[in-house]
Amino acid sequence: MTVVTLAVTSSGLETSAAAIISVGKADFTIAQKGVSEILSSTIDTGERARIEATPGVQSAVGVLVETEKINSDNPVFIEIGISPTQLKQFGVTIVRGHAYAPTASHQCMLGWRAAANLGLHVGSSFKANGTVNTVTGIYSTGNSFGDDAAMFPLPAIQGYNRVPGIVTLVFVKVKPGYPVSKVEQSINHNMPELTTIRTASQFGRADRNLVYLKAAVTGSTILAVIIGAVIVGNTMLLSVFERTRELGLLRAVGWTRRRIVGLILIEAVALGLIGACIGVGLSFAVSTGLEHLPALRGILHTNFTPMAFWRALYTALGMTLIGSLYPALRAAFLVPLRALSYE
Amino acid sequence: MSDPSPAGSASTLASGEGAVEQPPAIELHDVVKRYRGGVLALDHLDLVIAKQEFVAISGPSGCGKSTLLHLIAALDAPTSGTVLVNGHDLAKMHDLSYFRRREVGLVFQLHDLLPRISVLANVEIVMYGTHRSSRGRHQRANELLEEVDLGGRGSRLPTQLSGGERQRVAIARALANEPGILLADEPTGNLDAESARRIMELFGRVRNDGVTVVMVTHDEALAAMADRTDRIEVGRIVSSTRNR
Ligand SMILES: Nc1ncnc2c1ncn2[C@@H]1O[C@H](COP(=O)(O)OP(=O)(O)OP(=O)(O)O)[C@@H](O)[C@H]1O
Ligand SMILES: [Mg+2]
Repeated sequence: MTVVTLAVTSSGLETSAAAIISVGKADFTIAQKGVSEILSSTIDTGERARIEATPGVQSAVGVLVETEKINSDNPVFIEIGISPTQLKQFGVTIVRGHAYAPTASHQCMLGWRAAANLGLHVGSSFKANGTVNTVTGIYSTGNSFGDDAAMFPLPAIQGYNRVPGIVTLVFVKVKPGYPVSKVEQSINHNMPELTTIRTASQFGRADRNLVYLKAAVTGSTILAVIIGAVIVGNTMLLSVFERTRELGLLRAVGWTRRRIVGLILIEAVALGLIGACIGVGLSFAVSTGLEHLPALRGILHTNFTPMAFWRALYTALGMTLIGSLYPALRAAFLVPLRALSYE
Repeated sequence: MSDPSPAGSASTLASGEGAVEQPPAIELHDVVKRYRGGVLALDHLDLVIAKQEFVAISGPSGCGKSTLLHLIAALDAPTSGTVLVNGHDLAKMHDLSYFRRREVGLVFQLHDLLPRISVLANVEIVMYGTHRSSRGRHQRANELLEEVDLGGRGSRLPTQLSGGERQRVAIARALANEPGILLADEPTGNLDAESARRIMELFGRVRNDGVTVVMVTHDEALAAMADRTDRIEVGRIVSSTRNR
Protein backbone atom coordinates (compact mmCIF):
# COMPACT_ATOMS: atom_id res chain seq x y z
CA MET A 1 0.00 0.00 0.00
CA THR A 2 2.83 2.37 0.84
CA VAL A 3 4.22 1.62 -2.58
CA VAL A 4 1.07 2.64 -4.33
CA THR A 5 0.57 5.77 -2.25
CA LEU A 6 4.13 6.91 -2.76
CA ALA A 7 4.10 6.07 -6.44
CA VAL A 8 0.87 7.93 -6.90
CA THR A 9 2.07 10.91 -4.86
CA SER A 10 5.34 11.21 -6.71
CA SER A 11 3.80 10.86 -10.12
CA GLY A 12 1.21 13.41 -9.02
CA LEU A 13 3.89 15.90 -8.03
CA GLU A 14 5.77 15.21 -11.19
CA THR A 15 2.71 15.84 -13.29
CA SER A 16 2.05 19.04 -11.36
CA ALA A 17 5.58 20.22 -12.03
CA ALA A 18 5.36 19.06 -15.59
CA ALA A 19 2.10 20.94 -15.83
CA ILE A 20 3.80 24.27 -15.13
CA ILE A 21 6.13 23.52 -17.95
CA SER A 22 3.47 22.25 -20.26
CA VAL A 23 1.42 25.36 -19.60
CA GLY A 24 3.94 27.05 -21.86
CA LYS A 25 3.85 25.72 -25.37
CA ALA A 26 7.61 25.72 -25.78
CA ASP A 27 10.29 23.51 -27.28
CA PHE A 28 12.02 23.47 -23.93
CA THR A 29 12.07 25.26 -20.61
CA ILE A 30 15.00 26.72 -18.71
CA ALA A 31 15.32 26.73 -14.94
CA GLN A 32 18.07 27.27 -12.41
CA LYS A 33 20.14 24.14 -11.94
CA GLY A 34 20.02 22.13 -8.72
CA VAL A 35 17.31 23.97 -6.82
CA SER A 36 15.41 21.93 -4.28
CA GLU A 37 12.09 22.96 -5.70
CA ILE A 38 11.27 24.15 -9.18
CA LEU A 39 9.48 27.26 -7.90
CA SER A 40 12.60 28.59 -6.18
CA SER A 41 14.46 28.82 -9.47
CA THR A 42 15.61 32.38 -10.32
CA ILE A 43 16.79 33.70 -13.67
CA ASP A 44 17.79 37.36 -13.98
CA THR A 45 17.54 39.86 -16.83
CA GLY A 46 21.12 39.38 -17.94
CA GLU A 47 20.68 35.64 -18.28
CA ARG A 48 17.43 36.15 -20.13
CA ALA A 49 19.16 38.47 -22.57
CA ARG A 50 21.88 35.88 -23.18
CA ILE A 51 19.25 33.20 -23.75
CA GLU A 52 17.51 35.41 -26.28
CA ALA A 53 20.85 36.10 -27.97
CA THR A 54 21.65 32.39 -28.39
CA PRO A 55 21.61 31.46 -32.08
CA GLY A 56 18.47 29.58 -33.02
CA VAL A 57 16.26 31.02 -30.30
CA GLN A 58 13.10 32.50 -31.79
CA SER A 59 11.44 33.60 -28.58
CA ALA A 60 12.16 33.35 -24.87
CA VAL A 61 9.15 33.99 -22.63
CA GLY A 62 10.08 34.75 -19.04
CA VAL A 63 7.55 33.78 -16.42
CA LEU A 64 7.58 34.39 -12.67
CA VAL A 65 5.74 31.80 -10.64
CA GLU A 66 4.86 32.68 -7.06
CA THR A 67 2.53 31.21 -4.47
CA GLU A 68 0.36 33.06 -2.04
CA LYS A 69 -2.12 32.19 0.65
CA ILE A 70 -5.44 33.49 -0.61
CA ASN A 71 -7.62 32.00 2.11
CA SER A 72 -7.69 28.86 4.24
CA ASP A 73 -9.04 26.83 1.34
CA ASN A 74 -6.23 27.97 -0.95
CA PRO A 75 -3.05 28.11 1.11
CA VAL A 76 -0.75 27.78 -1.88
CA PHE A 77 -2.45 29.59 -4.70
CA ILE A 78 -0.31 29.83 -7.83
CA GLU A 79 0.31 33.24 -9.37
CA ILE A 80 1.98 33.57 -12.73
CA GLY A 81 3.60 36.81 -13.88
CA ILE A 82 3.65 37.12 -17.64
CA SER A 83 3.54 39.93 -20.19
CA PRO A 84 0.14 40.18 -21.93
CA THR A 85 1.89 40.25 -25.32
CA GLN A 86 3.33 36.81 -24.72
CA LEU A 87 0.13 35.07 -23.62
CA LYS A 88 -0.52 33.57 -27.01
CA GLN A 89 3.00 32.17 -27.41
CA PHE A 90 2.64 30.76 -23.94
CA GLY A 91 -0.48 28.84 -24.89
CA VAL A 92 -3.08 30.86 -23.01
CA THR A 93 -6.54 31.30 -24.48
CA ILE A 94 -8.77 34.04 -23.10
CA VAL A 95 -12.27 32.65 -22.81
CA ARG A 96 -14.01 35.67 -21.25
CA GLY A 97 -13.10 39.35 -21.11
CA HIS A 98 -9.68 40.53 -22.19
CA ALA A 99 -6.04 40.61 -21.10
CA TYR A 100 -4.66 43.06 -18.54
CA ALA A 101 -2.55 46.03 -19.56
CA PRO A 102 1.24 45.33 -19.70
CA THR A 103 2.16 47.53 -16.75
CA ALA A 104 -1.16 47.71 -14.87
CA SER A 105 -0.77 47.20 -11.15
CA HIS A 106 -4.34 46.41 -10.15
CA GLN A 107 -5.41 43.98 -12.85
CA CYS A 108 -5.29 40.23 -13.25
CA MET A 109 -6.81 37.28 -15.06
CA LEU A 110 -8.08 34.10 -13.44
CA GLY A 111 -7.87 30.56 -14.74
CA TRP A 112 -11.37 29.18 -15.25
CA ARG A 113 -10.97 26.61 -12.45
CA ALA A 114 -9.77 29.26 -10.02
CA ALA A 115 -12.62 31.56 -11.04
CA ALA A 116 -15.11 28.79 -10.47
CA ASN A 117 -13.58 27.84 -7.10
CA LEU A 118 -13.50 31.41 -5.88
CA GLY A 119 -16.86 32.34 -7.40
CA LEU A 120 -15.41 35.30 -9.32
CA HIS A 121 -16.23 36.73 -12.76
CA VAL A 122 -14.94 39.29 -15.20
CA GLY A 123 -15.18 42.63 -13.38
CA SER A 124 -14.99 41.09 -9.90
CA SER A 125 -12.41 42.20 -7.38
CA PHE A 126 -9.74 39.69 -6.45
CA LYS A 127 -7.63 40.38 -3.39
CA ALA A 128 -4.13 39.11 -4.07
CA ASN A 129 -0.61 40.21 -4.86
CA GLY A 130 -0.82 42.86 -2.17
CA THR A 131 -3.71 44.80 -3.67
CA VAL A 132 -7.25 44.55 -4.84
CA ASN A 133 -7.26 43.60 -8.50
CA THR A 134 -9.93 43.83 -11.11
CA VAL A 135 -10.45 40.60 -12.98
CA THR A 136 -10.16 41.59 -16.64
CA GLY A 137 -10.51 38.14 -18.11
CA ILE A 138 -10.85 34.40 -17.61
CA TYR A 139 -8.34 32.17 -19.38
CA SER A 140 -7.79 28.53 -20.13
CA THR A 141 -4.49 26.72 -20.59
CA GLY A 142 -5.77 23.22 -21.00
CA ASN A 143 -4.23 21.81 -17.84
CA SER A 144 -5.59 21.83 -14.33
CA PHE A 145 -2.47 23.31 -12.81
CA GLY A 146 -2.50 26.39 -15.02
CA ASP A 147 -6.25 26.76 -14.85
CA ASP A 148 -6.26 26.74 -11.05
CA ALA A 149 -4.04 29.83 -10.96
CA ALA A 150 -4.09 33.57 -11.65
CA MET A 151 -2.01 35.65 -14.07
CA PHE A 152 -0.63 39.14 -13.41
CA PRO A 153 1.41 41.64 -15.42
CA LEU A 154 5.06 40.68 -14.91
CA PRO A 155 6.28 44.02 -13.44
CA ALA A 156 3.44 44.10 -10.92
CA ILE A 157 4.16 40.68 -9.48
CA GLN A 158 7.93 41.23 -9.54
CA GLY A 159 7.42 44.46 -7.64
CA TYR A 160 5.14 42.95 -5.04
CA ASN A 161 7.52 40.06 -4.40
CA ARG A 162 10.55 42.44 -4.52
CA VAL A 163 12.32 40.52 -7.26
CA PRO A 164 12.63 43.10 -10.05
CA GLY A 165 13.77 41.62 -13.31
CA ILE A 166 13.69 38.06 -11.99
CA VAL A 167 11.73 35.23 -13.57
CA THR A 168 11.35 31.61 -12.48
CA LEU A 169 11.33 29.86 -15.82
CA VAL A 170 12.11 30.83 -19.39
CA PHE A 171 10.14 29.12 -22.13
CA VAL A 172 12.10 28.86 -25.36
CA LYS A 173 10.82 28.38 -28.88
CA VAL A 174 13.40 27.43 -31.49
CA LYS A 175 13.55 28.95 -34.96
CA PRO A 176 12.37 26.63 -37.70
CA GLY A 177 15.29 24.73 -39.18
CA TYR A 178 17.38 24.72 -36.01
CA PRO A 179 17.67 21.39 -34.16
CA VAL A 180 16.22 21.78 -30.68
CA SER A 181 18.92 19.68 -29.04
CA LYS A 182 21.70 21.84 -30.53
CA VAL A 183 20.16 25.00 -29.10
CA GLU A 184 19.69 23.26 -25.76
CA GLN A 185 23.32 22.18 -25.78
CA SER A 186 24.71 25.62 -26.40
CA ILE A 187 22.59 27.10 -23.59
CA ASN A 188 23.69 24.38 -21.18
CA HIS A 189 27.28 25.00 -22.23
CA ASN A 190 27.25 28.80 -22.07
CA MET A 191 25.23 29.06 -18.87
CA PRO A 192 26.23 26.22 -16.56
CA GLU A 193 24.12 27.66 -13.74
CA LEU A 194 20.98 26.92 -15.74
CA THR A 195 19.48 23.72 -16.99
CA THR A 196 17.13 22.94 -19.83
CA ILE A 197 14.14 20.72 -19.38
CA ARG A 198 12.21 19.10 -22.13
CA THR A 199 10.07 16.40 -20.61
CA ALA A 200 8.64 15.64 -17.23
CA SER A 201 11.19 12.90 -16.67
CA GLN A 202 13.99 15.44 -17.00
CA PHE A 203 12.50 17.30 -14.12
CA GLY A 204 14.94 15.88 -11.62
CA ARG A 205 17.60 18.06 -13.17
CA ALA A 206 15.94 21.07 -11.66
CA ASP A 207 13.87 19.65 -8.87
CA ARG A 208 15.68 17.50 -6.33
CA ASN A 209 12.60 16.74 -4.23
CA LEU A 210 11.26 14.63 -7.00
CA VAL A 211 14.50 12.68 -7.28
CA TYR A 212 14.37 11.89 -3.59
CA LEU A 213 10.72 10.95 -3.77
CA LYS A 214 11.47 8.61 -6.68
CA ALA A 215 14.29 7.02 -4.71
CA ALA A 216 11.91 6.63 -1.79
CA VAL A 217 9.45 4.85 -4.06
CA THR A 218 12.10 2.40 -5.24
CA GLY A 219 13.40 1.89 -1.71
CA SER A 220 10.01 1.33 -0.22
CA THR A 221 9.06 -1.03 -3.05
CA ILE A 222 12.03 -3.21 -2.16
CA LEU A 223 11.23 -2.94 1.53
CA ALA A 224 7.58 -3.75 0.91
CA VAL A 225 8.57 -6.81 -1.12
CA ILE A 226 10.80 -8.05 1.69
CA ILE A 227 8.26 -7.40 4.43
CA GLY A 228 5.46 -8.80 2.29
CA ALA A 229 7.47 -11.89 1.44
CA VAL A 230 8.16 -12.53 5.11
CA ILE A 231 4.48 -12.11 5.99
CA VAL A 232 3.26 -14.29 3.13
CA GLY A 233 5.96 -16.86 3.85
CA ASN A 234 5.06 -16.98 7.50
CA THR A 235 1.34 -17.27 6.80
CA MET A 236 1.85 -20.04 4.28
CA LEU A 237 4.30 -21.89 6.49
CA LEU A 238 1.79 -21.86 9.32
CA SER A 239 -0.91 -23.08 7.00
CA VAL A 240 1.38 -25.87 5.75
CA PHE A 241 2.17 -26.95 9.31
CA GLU A 242 -1.47 -26.81 10.22
CA ARG A 243 -2.33 -29.06 7.29
CA THR A 244 0.58 -31.46 7.58
CA ARG A 245 -1.75 -34.44 7.84
CA GLU A 246 -3.82 -33.37 4.85
CA LEU A 247 -0.79 -32.69 2.70
CA GLY A 248 0.71 -36.03 3.73
CA LEU A 249 -2.55 -37.68 2.75
CA LEU A 250 -2.47 -36.06 -0.67
CA ARG A 251 1.07 -37.35 -1.15
CA ALA A 252 0.00 -40.80 0.02
CA VAL A 253 -2.84 -40.99 -2.49
CA GLY A 254 -0.48 -40.15 -5.31
CA TRP A 255 -0.28 -36.38 -5.64
CA THR A 256 3.06 -35.45 -7.14
CA ARG A 257 5.43 -33.00 -5.48
CA ARG A 258 4.88 -30.61 -8.35
CA ARG A 259 1.13 -30.63 -7.78
CA ILE A 260 1.62 -29.88 -4.08
CA VAL A 261 3.96 -26.98 -4.90
CA GLY A 262 1.35 -25.71 -7.36
CA LEU A 263 -1.39 -25.93 -4.73
CA ILE A 264 0.56 -23.90 -2.19
CA LEU A 265 1.67 -21.30 -4.74
CA ILE A 266 -1.86 -20.82 -6.05
CA GLU A 267 -3.16 -20.36 -2.52
CA ALA A 268 -0.40 -17.85 -1.82
CA VAL A 269 -1.07 -15.93 -5.04
CA ALA A 270 -4.76 -15.75 -4.19
CA LEU A 271 -3.79 -14.39 -0.79
CA GLY A 272 -1.38 -11.91 -2.39
CA LEU A 273 -3.94 -10.65 -4.88
CA ILE A 274 -6.56 -10.10 -2.20
CA GLY A 275 -3.90 -8.19 -0.25
CA ALA A 276 -2.98 -6.13 -3.29
CA CYS A 277 -6.61 -5.19 -3.93
CA ILE A 278 -7.10 -4.09 -0.33
CA GLY A 279 -3.81 -2.18 -0.56
CA VAL A 280 -4.74 -0.36 -3.73
CA GLY A 281 -8.13 0.54 -2.28
CA LEU A 282 -6.60 1.88 0.92
CA SER A 283 -3.94 3.86 -0.87
CA PHE A 284 -6.51 5.35 -3.19
CA ALA A 285 -8.40 6.50 -0.13
CA VAL A 286 -5.25 7.85 1.54
CA SER A 287 -3.96 9.78 -1.43
CA THR A 288 -7.37 11.17 -2.26
CA GLY A 289 -7.49 12.26 1.37
CA LEU A 290 -4.03 13.84 1.07
CA GLU A 291 -5.09 15.70 -2.01
CA HIS A 292 -8.00 17.26 -0.16
CA LEU A 293 -5.87 18.23 2.82
CA PRO A 294 -6.00 22.05 2.92
CA ALA A 295 -2.20 22.28 3.20
CA LEU A 296 -1.71 20.32 0.01
CA ARG A 297 -4.61 21.62 -2.03
CA GLY A 298 -3.42 22.83 -5.36
CA ILE A 299 0.02 21.29 -4.95
CA LEU A 300 -0.79 17.63 -5.06
CA HIS A 301 -2.77 16.34 -7.94
CA THR A 302 -2.77 12.61 -7.47
CA ASN A 303 -3.09 10.74 -10.66
CA PHE A 304 -3.75 7.05 -10.53
CA THR A 305 -1.85 5.84 -13.53
CA PRO A 306 -2.28 2.25 -14.65
CA MET A 307 1.45 1.99 -13.92
CA ALA A 308 0.80 2.43 -10.20
CA PHE A 309 -1.70 -0.41 -10.26
CA TRP A 310 0.61 -2.69 -12.19
CA ARG A 311 3.43 -1.85 -9.86
CA ALA A 312 1.24 -2.83 -6.92
CA LEU A 313 0.17 -5.98 -8.67
CA TYR A 314 3.57 -7.28 -9.59
CA THR A 315 5.02 -6.18 -6.31
CA ALA A 316 2.38 -8.31 -4.61
CA LEU A 317 2.98 -11.17 -7.00
CA GLY A 318 6.73 -10.99 -6.55
CA MET A 319 6.61 -11.03 -2.80
CA THR A 320 4.04 -13.81 -2.83
CA LEU A 321 6.16 -16.06 -4.99
CA ILE A 322 9.37 -15.34 -3.10
CA GLY A 323 7.66 -15.78 0.25
CA SER A 324 5.77 -18.96 -0.54
CA LEU A 325 8.58 -20.87 -2.20
CA TYR A 326 9.97 -22.27 1.02
CA PRO A 327 6.56 -23.29 2.44
CA ALA A 328 5.68 -24.91 -0.90
CA LEU A 329 8.89 -26.96 -0.97
CA ARG A 330 8.46 -27.81 2.66
CA ALA A 331 5.00 -29.19 1.85
CA ALA A 332 6.20 -31.05 -1.23
CA PHE A 333 8.96 -32.85 0.64
CA LEU A 334 6.83 -34.04 3.54
CA VAL A 335 7.30 -37.74 4.16
CA PRO A 336 3.74 -39.07 3.77
CA LEU A 337 3.77 -41.54 6.65
CA ARG A 338 5.36 -39.16 9.09
CA ALA A 339 2.96 -36.41 7.99
CA LEU A 340 -0.01 -38.72 8.48
CA SER A 341 0.94 -39.41 12.07
CA TYR A 342 1.59 -35.71 12.74
CA GLU A 343 -0.50 -34.17 15.45
CA MET B 1 -9.21 -53.63 -17.87
CA SER B 2 -5.85 -55.08 -18.82
CA ASP B 3 -3.15 -55.75 -16.30
CA PRO B 4 0.15 -54.08 -16.94
CA SER B 5 2.54 -57.02 -17.08
CA PRO B 6 6.29 -56.93 -16.87
CA ALA B 7 7.92 -57.66 -20.20
CA GLY B 8 9.40 -61.12 -20.43
CA SER B 9 7.59 -62.49 -17.41
CA ALA B 10 5.53 -65.62 -17.43
CA SER B 11 2.48 -63.58 -18.16
CA THR B 12 1.55 -63.33 -21.81
CA LEU B 13 -1.64 -62.75 -23.67
CA ALA B 14 -3.99 -65.69 -23.61
CA SER B 15 -3.34 -67.57 -26.80
CA GLY B 16 -5.88 -70.32 -26.68
CA GLU B 17 -3.96 -72.51 -24.27
CA GLY B 18 -6.40 -71.73 -21.48
CA ALA B 19 -5.19 -70.36 -18.17
CA VAL B 20 -2.09 -68.23 -18.40
CA GLU B 21 0.25 -67.89 -15.47
CA GLN B 22 0.21 -64.32 -14.16
CA PRO B 23 2.45 -62.82 -11.51
CA PRO B 24 0.73 -62.63 -8.12
CA ALA B 25 -0.74 -59.28 -7.19
CA ILE B 26 1.52 -59.03 -4.17
CA GLU B 27 4.71 -60.85 -3.22
CA LEU B 28 6.93 -60.21 -0.23
CA HIS B 29 10.19 -62.11 0.04
CA ASP B 30 12.19 -62.27 3.23
CA VAL B 31 11.08 -58.79 4.25
CA VAL B 32 12.59 -57.19 7.33
CA LYS B 33 11.42 -53.84 8.60
CA ARG B 34 13.34 -52.34 11.46
CA TYR B 35 12.30 -48.83 12.52
CA ARG B 36 14.76 -46.23 13.60
CA GLY B 37 15.19 -46.85 17.30
CA GLY B 38 15.48 -50.56 16.77
CA VAL B 39 11.88 -51.84 16.79
CA LEU B 40 11.70 -54.91 14.60
CA ALA B 41 8.24 -54.61 13.02
CA LEU B 42 8.56 -57.30 10.34
CA ASP B 43 10.87 -60.23 10.87
CA HIS B 44 11.80 -62.12 7.64
CA LEU B 45 8.25 -62.17 6.41
CA ASP B 46 7.13 -64.00 3.24
CA LEU B 47 3.70 -63.45 1.74
CA VAL B 48 2.05 -64.12 -1.64
CA ILE B 49 -1.41 -62.86 -2.55
CA ALA B 50 -2.91 -63.86 -5.88
CA LYS B 51 -4.87 -61.55 -8.12
CA GLN B 52 -8.51 -61.10 -7.14
CA GLU B 53 -7.95 -62.66 -3.78
CA PHE B 54 -9.64 -61.17 -0.72
CA VAL B 55 -7.23 -61.58 2.17
CA ALA B 56 -7.66 -60.52 5.77
CA ILE B 57 -4.54 -59.93 7.84
CA SER B 58 -5.18 -60.34 11.54
CA GLY B 59 -3.07 -60.23 14.63
CA PRO B 60 -2.59 -58.46 17.91
CA SER B 61 -1.87 -54.78 18.22
CA GLY B 62 1.69 -53.84 17.36
CA CYS B 63 2.47 -57.05 15.46
CA GLY B 64 3.30 -55.16 12.24
CA LYS B 65 0.03 -55.19 10.24
CA SER B 66 0.06 -51.49 9.33
CA THR B 67 3.76 -51.68 8.57
CA LEU B 68 3.04 -54.45 6.09
CA LEU B 69 0.37 -52.42 4.29
CA HIS B 70 2.60 -49.36 4.13
CA LEU B 71 5.30 -51.39 2.44
CA ILE B 72 2.83 -52.72 -0.15
CA ALA B 73 1.54 -49.19 -0.78
CA ALA B 74 5.10 -47.93 -1.32
CA LEU B 75 4.69 -45.47 1.54
CA ASP B 76 7.72 -46.96 3.24
CA ALA B 77 10.63 -49.15 2.18
CA PRO B 78 11.75 -52.40 3.81
CA THR B 79 15.07 -52.58 5.62
CA SER B 80 15.83 -55.70 3.59
CA GLY B 81 13.97 -58.09 1.32
CA THR B 82 11.82 -57.35 -1.74
CA VAL B 83 8.24 -56.21 -2.27
CA LEU B 84 6.75 -56.92 -5.69
CA VAL B 85 3.39 -55.62 -6.88
CA ASN B 86 2.08 -57.13 -10.11
CA GLY B 87 5.59 -58.49 -10.59
CA HIS B 88 7.26 -55.07 -10.28
CA ASP B 89 9.88 -54.53 -7.62
CA LEU B 90 8.85 -51.38 -5.79
CA ALA B 91 12.46 -50.57 -4.92
CA LYS B 92 13.18 -50.18 -8.62
CA MET B 93 10.12 -48.13 -9.42
CA HIS B 94 10.77 -44.57 -10.55
CA ASP B 95 7.41 -42.90 -10.37
CA LEU B 96 6.00 -43.78 -6.96
CA SER B 97 3.39 -41.02 -7.22
CA TYR B 98 1.95 -42.70 -10.28
CA PHE B 99 2.01 -46.07 -8.56
CA ARG B 100 0.21 -44.73 -5.50
CA ARG B 101 -2.30 -42.92 -7.64
CA ARG B 102 -3.15 -45.66 -10.10
CA GLU B 103 -2.20 -49.12 -8.92
CA VAL B 104 -3.20 -49.24 -5.28
CA GLY B 105 -6.10 -47.75 -3.41
CA LEU B 106 -5.50 -47.13 0.25
CA VAL B 107 -7.94 -46.83 3.14
CA PHE B 108 -6.20 -45.62 6.26
CA GLN B 109 -6.54 -46.87 9.78
CA LEU B 110 -7.95 -43.52 10.80
CA HIS B 111 -10.10 -42.83 7.76
CA ASP B 112 -8.31 -39.70 6.62
CA LEU B 113 -10.67 -37.39 4.80
CA LEU B 114 -9.86 -33.74 4.20
CA PRO B 115 -12.10 -32.01 6.73
CA ARG B 116 -12.60 -28.71 4.92
CA ILE B 117 -13.93 -29.95 1.60
CA SER B 118 -17.06 -31.85 0.68
CA VAL B 119 -17.36 -35.60 0.58
CA LEU B 120 -17.59 -35.48 -3.20
CA ALA B 121 -14.46 -33.34 -3.48
CA ASN B 122 -12.66 -35.79 -1.21
CA VAL B 123 -13.28 -38.51 -3.75
CA GLU B 124 -12.49 -36.29 -6.74
CA ILE B 125 -9.21 -35.12 -5.33
CA VAL B 126 -7.35 -38.35 -6.06
CA MET B 127 -8.33 -38.18 -9.74
CA TYR B 128 -6.31 -35.04 -10.48
CA GLY B 129 -3.51 -35.80 -12.87
CA THR B 130 -5.40 -38.64 -14.54
CA HIS B 131 -6.98 -38.69 -17.97
CA ARG B 132 -10.36 -37.66 -16.59
CA SER B 133 -11.85 -34.26 -17.30
CA SER B 134 -13.31 -32.33 -14.39
CA ARG B 135 -16.74 -33.47 -15.52
CA GLY B 136 -15.55 -37.03 -15.75
CA ARG B 137 -14.13 -36.81 -12.24
CA HIS B 138 -17.37 -35.42 -10.94
CA GLN B 139 -19.40 -38.14 -12.57
CA ARG B 140 -17.10 -40.93 -11.41
CA ALA B 141 -17.11 -39.59 -7.85
CA ASN B 142 -20.89 -39.56 -7.84
CA GLU B 143 -21.02 -43.12 -9.17
CA LEU B 144 -18.62 -44.29 -6.49
CA LEU B 145 -20.62 -42.64 -3.71
CA GLU B 146 -23.68 -44.33 -5.14
CA GLU B 147 -21.84 -47.63 -5.04
CA VAL B 148 -21.04 -47.28 -1.33
CA ASP B 149 -24.64 -46.27 -0.58
CA LEU B 150 -23.84 -42.61 -0.07
CA GLY B 151 -25.65 -41.23 -3.10
CA GLY B 152 -26.96 -37.77 -2.28
CA ARG B 153 -24.48 -37.13 0.53
CA GLY B 154 -21.77 -35.77 -1.75
CA SER B 155 -22.20 -32.14 -0.76
CA ARG B 156 -21.80 -32.78 2.96
CA LEU B 157 -18.63 -32.18 4.89
CA PRO B 158 -16.90 -35.27 6.34
CA THR B 159 -17.68 -34.04 9.85
CA GLN B 160 -21.36 -34.28 9.03
CA LEU B 161 -21.13 -38.05 8.43
CA SER B 162 -21.11 -40.99 10.82
CA GLY B 163 -17.96 -43.06 11.31
CA GLY B 164 -19.21 -45.86 9.07
CA GLU B 165 -20.20 -43.41 6.35
CA ARG B 166 -16.80 -41.73 6.47
CA GLN B 167 -15.15 -45.12 6.18
CA ARG B 168 -17.19 -45.78 3.06
CA VAL B 169 -16.18 -42.41 1.58
CA ALA B 170 -12.56 -43.42 2.15
CA ILE B 171 -13.24 -46.70 0.33
CA ALA B 172 -14.90 -44.85 -2.56
CA ARG B 173 -11.86 -42.63 -2.76
CA ALA B 174 -9.49 -45.59 -2.76
CA LEU B 175 -11.41 -47.11 -5.69
CA ALA B 176 -11.61 -43.92 -7.74
CA ASN B 177 -8.70 -44.61 -10.06
CA GLU B 178 -9.68 -48.25 -10.63
CA PRO B 179 -6.69 -49.71 -8.82
CA GLY B 180 -5.90 -53.39 -9.17
CA ILE B 181 -5.32 -53.59 -5.44
CA LEU B 182 -7.29 -52.22 -2.53
CA LEU B 183 -5.48 -51.97 0.80
CA ALA B 184 -7.51 -51.23 3.91
CA ASP B 185 -6.11 -50.78 7.39
CA GLU B 186 -8.74 -51.53 10.07
CA PRO B 187 -11.58 -50.22 7.93
CA THR B 188 -14.06 -51.46 10.48
CA GLY B 189 -12.02 -50.07 13.36
CA ASN B 190 -14.67 -48.56 15.59
CA LEU B 191 -17.83 -49.48 13.76
CA ASP B 192 -20.76 -51.43 15.10
CA ALA B 193 -21.18 -55.01 13.94
CA GLU B 194 -23.81 -54.17 11.32
CA SER B 195 -21.78 -51.38 9.66
CA ALA B 196 -18.69 -53.59 9.73
CA ARG B 197 -20.56 -56.43 8.04
CA ARG B 198 -21.76 -54.09 5.29
CA ILE B 199 -18.22 -52.97 4.63
CA MET B 200 -17.11 -56.60 4.36
CA GLU B 201 -19.87 -57.17 1.83
CA LEU B 202 -18.71 -54.13 -0.09
CA PHE B 203 -15.20 -55.57 -0.21
CA GLY B 204 -16.66 -58.85 -1.46
CA ARG B 205 -18.32 -56.99 -4.34
CA VAL B 206 -15.13 -55.09 -5.10
CA ARG B 207 -13.25 -58.40 -5.24
CA ASN B 208 -15.91 -59.76 -7.61
CA ASP B 209 -15.23 -56.77 -9.88
CA GLY B 210 -11.66 -58.02 -10.24
CA VAL B 211 -9.83 -56.14 -7.51
CA THR B 212 -7.38 -57.76 -5.10
CA VAL B 213 -8.40 -56.80 -1.58
CA VAL B 214 -6.11 -56.86 1.44
CA MET B 215 -7.60 -55.75 4.72
CA VAL B 216 -6.16 -55.57 8.18
CA THR B 217 -8.34 -56.34 11.16
CA HIS B 218 -7.95 -57.63 14.65
CA ASP B 219 -11.53 -58.93 14.60
CA GLU B 220 -11.36 -62.69 14.02
CA ALA B 221 -15.03 -62.99 13.11
CA LEU B 222 -14.75 -60.37 10.37
CA ALA B 223 -11.49 -61.85 9.15
CA ALA B 224 -13.32 -65.10 8.59
CA MET B 225 -15.53 -63.39 5.99
CA ALA B 226 -12.55 -62.98 3.66
CA ASP B 227 -11.34 -65.68 1.23
CA ARG B 228 -8.25 -66.20 3.32
CA THR B 229 -7.03 -65.16 6.73
CA ASP B 230 -3.35 -64.71 7.48
CA ARG B 231 -2.37 -64.25 11.08
CA ILE B 232 0.70 -62.24 12.04
CA GLU B 233 2.41 -62.36 15.37
CA VAL B 234 5.48 -60.29 16.21
CA GLY B 235 6.38 -59.61 12.61
CA ARG B 236 5.87 -63.07 11.14
CA ILE B 237 2.97 -64.90 9.51
CA VAL B 238 2.08 -67.66 11.91
CA SER B 239 -0.90 -69.15 10.12
CA SER B 240 -2.81 -68.94 6.87
CA THR B 241 -6.38 -70.18 6.78
CA ARG B 242 -8.49 -70.59 3.65
CA ASN B 243 -12.14 -69.76 4.43
CA ARG B 244 -13.62 -70.80 1.10
N1 LIG C 1 7.34 -44.85 12.73
C1 LIG C 1 7.65 -45.79 13.65
N2 LIG C 1 8.80 -45.66 14.34
C2 LIG C 1 9.15 -46.60 15.25
N3 LIG C 1 8.42 -47.64 15.55
C3 LIG C 1 7.26 -47.85 14.88
C4 LIG C 1 6.82 -46.89 13.89
N4 LIG C 1 5.63 -47.32 13.41
C5 LIG C 1 5.35 -48.47 14.06
N5 LIG C 1 6.32 -48.78 14.94
C6 LIG C 1 6.39 -49.97 15.77
O1 LIG C 1 6.39 -51.11 14.94
C7 LIG C 1 5.57 -52.12 15.48
C8 LIG C 1 4.50 -52.49 14.45
O2 LIG C 1 3.66 -51.39 14.28
P1 LIG C 1 2.36 -51.45 13.36
O3 LIG C 1 1.79 -50.07 13.29
O4 LIG C 1 2.70 -52.10 12.10
O5 LIG C 1 1.41 -52.37 14.23
P2 LIG C 1 -0.08 -52.84 13.93
O6 LIG C 1 -0.04 -54.30 13.81
O7 LIG C 1 -0.64 -52.06 12.81
O8 LIG C 1 -0.80 -52.45 15.29
P3 LIG C 1 -2.32 -51.95 15.52
O9 LIG C 1 -3.20 -53.11 15.42
O10 LIG C 1 -2.29 -51.38 16.89
O11 LIG C 1 -2.57 -50.91 14.46
C9 LIG C 1 5.01 -51.59 16.79
O12 LIG C 1 5.79 -52.07 17.83
C10 LIG C 1 5.16 -50.08 16.66
O13 LIG C 1 5.39 -49.51 17.92
MG1 LIG D 1 -2.08 -50.58 12.57
